[in-house]
Amino acid sequence: MSDATTADGHDHAHDEHEHHDAPFWRKYIFSTDHKVIGIQYGFTSLLFLALGFFLMMVMRWSIAYPDRAVPMLADWPWFQAWLDDEGKVTGDLYNMFGAMHGTIMVFLGIVPLAFGAFGNYVTPLQIGAPDMAFPRLNMASYWFFLIGGVLMFVSFFLPSGAAKAGWTNYSPLATTTDLHYSDLFWTGQTQWILGMVFLISSSLLGAVNFICTIINLRCKGMTWMRLPFFVWAMLVTGFLLLLAFPPLEVAAIMQLMDRLGGTSFFVPTGLNVGGMAFDAAGGGSPLLYQHLFWFLAHPEVYVLILPAIAIVSEIIPCNTRKPLWGYKTMVYAVMVLGFLAFIVWAHHMYITGMGTAISTFFQITTVLISVPSVILITSLLISMWGGSIRFNVPMLFATAFIPMFGIGGLTGLPLAFSLPDLHLHDTYYVIAHFHYVVAPGTIFGLFAGIYHWYPKMTNRMMSTKLGHLHFWPSLICMNGIFLPMFFQGMAGFHRRAFDGGMAYEQISSQLFAEAGTITAKMFELLHVIEPGAAVKLIDLNIVTSGFAWMLAIAQVPFIINLFGSVFWGKKAEGINPWGATTLEWSTPTPPPHGNFESEPVAYRGPYEYSVPGADSDFTAQFDGEAPVTDAEVEDEVSESHA
Amino acid sequence: MEIPYEVTPRRDTGLFNAKLGIWLFLASEVMLFGGLFSAYVFLRVGVQEGVDTPWPWGINVHKDFVYLGFLNTLVLILSSVWVVFAWVALKERNWRKFQLYMYGVVACAMIFMVVKGIEYNSKLNHHHGIKLTDNSVMEGTIVHGTDKIDFTGTKFTFNLQGGLPGFIKDITKDDVGFSLEGEESVEFANAAEVKAWFLKSRSKVANELALERKRYRSELAVDRDSAKPVSVNTKATVIAKGPIQMKANPRKVVAHSATSLSYKDGTSVEGKLVRDAVEFVVHEVDMQLVLPQNQRTSIVWDVIGDEGAKKQFFDAQKLRYDELAEYYEKRGKTIPLSTMRGYILNLHPVHIGGHGDDHGDGDHKEHGKEKKDGDHHAGVSTHLSEAIPTADTESAGSEEGHEHGGHDEHTISVPRDKIKFMGNHGPRYGNYYAIYFTMTALHGLHVVGGALVLLFMVVFGKKLYLKNPEHLANRVEVGGLFWHFVDLVWIFLFPLMYLL
Amino acid sequence: MAGSTTSTDFTKEKSAYKVVMWSLFVCTFITLGLGKLDFLDFGPPGADWVDILVGISLAGVKASLVSLIFMHLNHEKGLIYKMLLFTLAFFISLMGLTLFAGSDPIVEQYETLQTTKGNLTETPVTND
Repeated sequence: MSDATTADGHDHAHDEHEHHDAPFWRKYIFSTDHKVIGIQYGFTSLLFLALGFFLMMVMRWSIAYPDRAVPMLADWPWFQAWLDDEGKVTGDLYNMFGAMHGTIMVFLGIVPLAFGAFGNYVTPLQIGAPDMAFPRLNMASYWFFLIGGVLMFVSFFLPSGAAKAGWTNYSPLATTTDLHYSDLFWTGQTQWILGMVFLISSSLLGAVNFICTIINLRCKGMTWMRLPFFVWAMLVTGFLLLLAFPPLEVAAIMQLMDRLGGTSFFVPTGLNVGGMAFDAAGGGSPLLYQHLFWFLAHPEVYVLILPAIAIVSEIIPCNTRKPLWGYKTMVYAVMVLGFLAFIVWAHHMYITGMGTAISTFFQITTVLISVPSVILITSLLISMWGGSIRFNVPMLFATAFIPMFGIGGLTGLPLAFSLPDLHLHDTYYVIAHFHYVVAPGTIFGLFAGIYHWYPKMTNRMMSTKLGHLHFWPSLICMNGIFLPMFFQGMAGFHRRAFDGGMAYEQISSQLFAEAGTITAKMFELLHVIEPGAAVKLIDLNIVTSGFAWMLAIAQVPFIINLFGSVFWGKKAEGINPWGATTLEWSTPTPPPHGNFESEPVAYRGPYEYSVPGADSDFTAQFDGEAPVTDAEVEDEVSESHA
Repeated sequence: MEIPYEVTPRRDTGLFNAKLGIWLFLASEVMLFGGLFSAYVFLRVGVQEGVDTPWPWGINVHKDFVYLGFLNTLVLILSSVWVVFAWVALKERNWRKFQLYMYGVVACAMIFMVVKGIEYNSKLNHHHGIKLTDNSVMEGTIVHGTDKIDFTGTKFTFNLQGGLPGFIKDITKDDVGFSLEGEESVEFANAAEVKAWFLKSRSKVANELALERKRYRSELAVDRDSAKPVSVNTKATVIAKGPIQMKANPRKVVAHSATSLSYKDGTSVEGKLVRDAVEFVVHEVDMQLVLPQNQRTSIVWDVIGDEGAKKQFFDAQKLRYDELAEYYEKRGKTIPLSTMRGYILNLHPVHIGGHGDDHGDGDHKEHGKEKKDGDHHAGVSTHLSEAIPTADTESAGSEEGHEHGGHDEHTISVPRDKIKFMGNHGPRYGNYYAIYFTMTALHGLHVVGGALVLLFMVVFGKKLYLKNPEHLANRVEVGGLFWHFVDLVWIFLFPLMYLL
Repeated sequence: MAGSTTSTDFTKEKSAYKVVMWSLFVCTFITLGLGKLDFLDFGPPGADWVDILVGISLAGVKASLVSLIFMHLNHEKGLIYKMLLFTLAFFISLMGLTLFAGSDPIVEQYETLQTTKGNLTETPVTND
């Protein structure tokens, strides 16, 4: 914008004008500024995360105490209709909450928070761009996301309730559920599909925008190998969304046709529903749905995890005051990961009776994909080696992320092989595995990000005390929730039993700890078992649920911190309170519309901490002692063509 | 604030933003239509012969839709060429020519959609099929309205929870009025009032239930054994003051008898069944799902009740068989079993009234899979008009049948208990139709969307053209890329949907 | 009026576009003929895998003409080729792996063994 042509000058003036006088709705609601959109994404997704968490707490009650009325909720208007006469959770309600918990957490909670919020806010700043490549498209993708979310939320209040066929929405169950309603359009199952179509469209637009921005809007000197790792991860995530989501959109459209148009894409010949022949032409394939669904949903796992790894790999070098170890290796690893993510999907489908040859193929690719994942995690670990680590709150979360993600990843290995998978499929083992990846994994990464970039967004620091109050209980509760699930899952507890396994005496009454052992004593102390009794596996349900509710309480300090620090937080010291090196810390705080005061230039790589002989322990990308030489420009050109 | 590289390409990538963006978008479109094409292949390859509905299936096999598809292909190719020329015209700074070409493209899009509409209309409204219980299929036209269950109801019992009771939509004449059973003073003039009352009562019942449950829970807390269980009346019955005419959608009905009708949502209606047969004008019989040895004893012949039609079918079949046998004999092979099940042998027009002899002469030596059934129709209807007086069974409701089949076509009554599946040739009729409608409709949406964008560029583009023609040229290039992609998809759709 | 003076010569391109247009029309006619004309019906009478193969290949030829000439893929930037290459790879993996997931070469050996032993349920049409 420093070019002083008349046209530019005019635009600049207009800009200033807009900055001061734009009406509230233009500035904060229908805004095209990537930072405002990022914050919009952030708040919406945090709300949905809270809703998804709430659904889970109700489910955990049903699992822990299937024979007791749910406390407090029975008198809430909506619950009056869905709980049974005694106030207990019904199977229908459990199914509904289970399906919606998964949907909301994945599609409305974590992806928008990770990709939508952080991606939107940080990416253009880190590459030195004034905004996203298509600002209006960016706004459109937020509003599509919101419409999808609202449709999902509204579906709870329909006569049929929200979707009940699991977050995977497998046909033919999803096709045939609630078909007796005379108004099929306004059933939860149909609205789920419609909501998904909106969410998918939003993600597609977002992905186009991200990739375009990263490829085309990098500032002067920002060569490919000077991109912060966060940006690389966003680029790969963008490609995952761009190419994996359309097949799910296809699946959603086809399922919509099955429900509303009476087609039989996923309805096999001779299907019986409720003892009656299902009225459709038949000839479809339920497996086709699963293929299309998992073609998205496996890359989706990496969409969930990559932004978290990316955030953590920004925070670790910053707080160890050391360069990111193996930056180039990590970049190549993340690209390989992105590529392999597309050809592993059928490991979710080993029990569908697929051929041994193709199953072998998927086992091989699945094990292969652990190689780049391990490279990423190992690089992060080594980055900490020998550093003088500042254990501030973001760093605590980032540090905890590594072992938590590690547990999640390693426990996934047995699931990669078809033989153990046949045993573990659909048990709590699977639940524990992917929740370790996503809950204490990704969500910790996202918390770390919030604590890390909060001073950039508000010019104030979040409270460290409240941060500790948030971190330690969360860490303990997360493990308290998911660790017992491994034991239950290996014993064969099924994930969809709404009574927590009461109906399966043989499995659920297996011994976890003998009477009189220390473990049993501890359980006695917590009033989980009768004095002198042995601990059965089913008793772990109560422990898990207890930790889940405590986890909810542990989020209170965070909420207070998030909102309170805007007013009472300590002022950030300058524009770069953490002493970080990447470009977002060179802007005024909070960054204005258009981001940079003068055209930013990247002079060096993103992680130049503790450079020998330097004045301070960090040399920022934007510190311009040396101008960009012609040789470097040539280098940039040749690299981008390579 | 200005976004860089909106018009001029970035030096190292050589691309301006929108071009990169559209290619990314097209990549995702490739995956979108790729997913659908994958589904097409997966479903088609997965068809179990003799069990699933075959591909292609029904009227599409030999109707002249292929010419419509062909026309549309030409139209789209032309528009694709014009869009490039429009871009060239802009590059040459020739606004008039640009306008001309762009309006041409939009006109092409309109022609495309109109042709599509004709095709859809024909499939949805003029072609039907009935699959009988032994999987033999009759193709033709259902006389309008007779696919619905004709019923006169007097007593309607329904749930006061959940969705709207199914019978309300099915009532065709409701001027008699209703009253509520048990409370005769509550009266409704018509079905709309019943609906309003239902909505009101539903929330009332929900409130009552909530109160009852609250009471029950508080009693439980005191003493588990003596608590009085929740009891709320969730059913209501409405009595009609006279017989109410209904046409019930068979897809919403679980069971029906001479005096009752029960819906899937739990609604039950008492009354009288008026007519339980579907009036149908047969054009073809399709035996692809019947084993060869069972074809002669199929119930379809009882339903049609005409020996001539039967003879006609098997004569045509023999003709085809001989033709194929000759082909394979020449090559020293036997006819593969898969062909025995194919439509070449098993789908033939039949004409009630026994004019079997004239069939098949026309296409005796024709090796192409398309039969000139238009000729047969013409030939037979002249015969029929001479020989057959208007049929008795052609009752009041068959105007629609006249419209399509001509006045001379013979309507048969198909008893509902012999029907396994019926419908128009819409997406429901089989997966071939399902994917046809899904893909062409999605493609149609792309055509409309693309045309609107191009129209916008030419109608509101003048200002930008005067300011920065290169920017407009970029836009047109990007819009054109999308348009070519739409054309590209159609290039694959045409052979897959119409010919093969 | 930046850039308005740079009107480039497009005569060569225009004639190329016209050639492509006519080749597309010809291909479309042949495709139609596949279904409608005797001498273009390959393989046994009626539509079968040979016709499908020919039809799809023709569509492939047409598609490559459109994408190469009209969409300028014959001289595009490297970045776009790379991107499309990835897309193509994933599309092929989606279609291919999905299709092959149902097949099982190890078990199928035994299945074919059983079918060749006879046990056919269908009998050919008797022509009387």
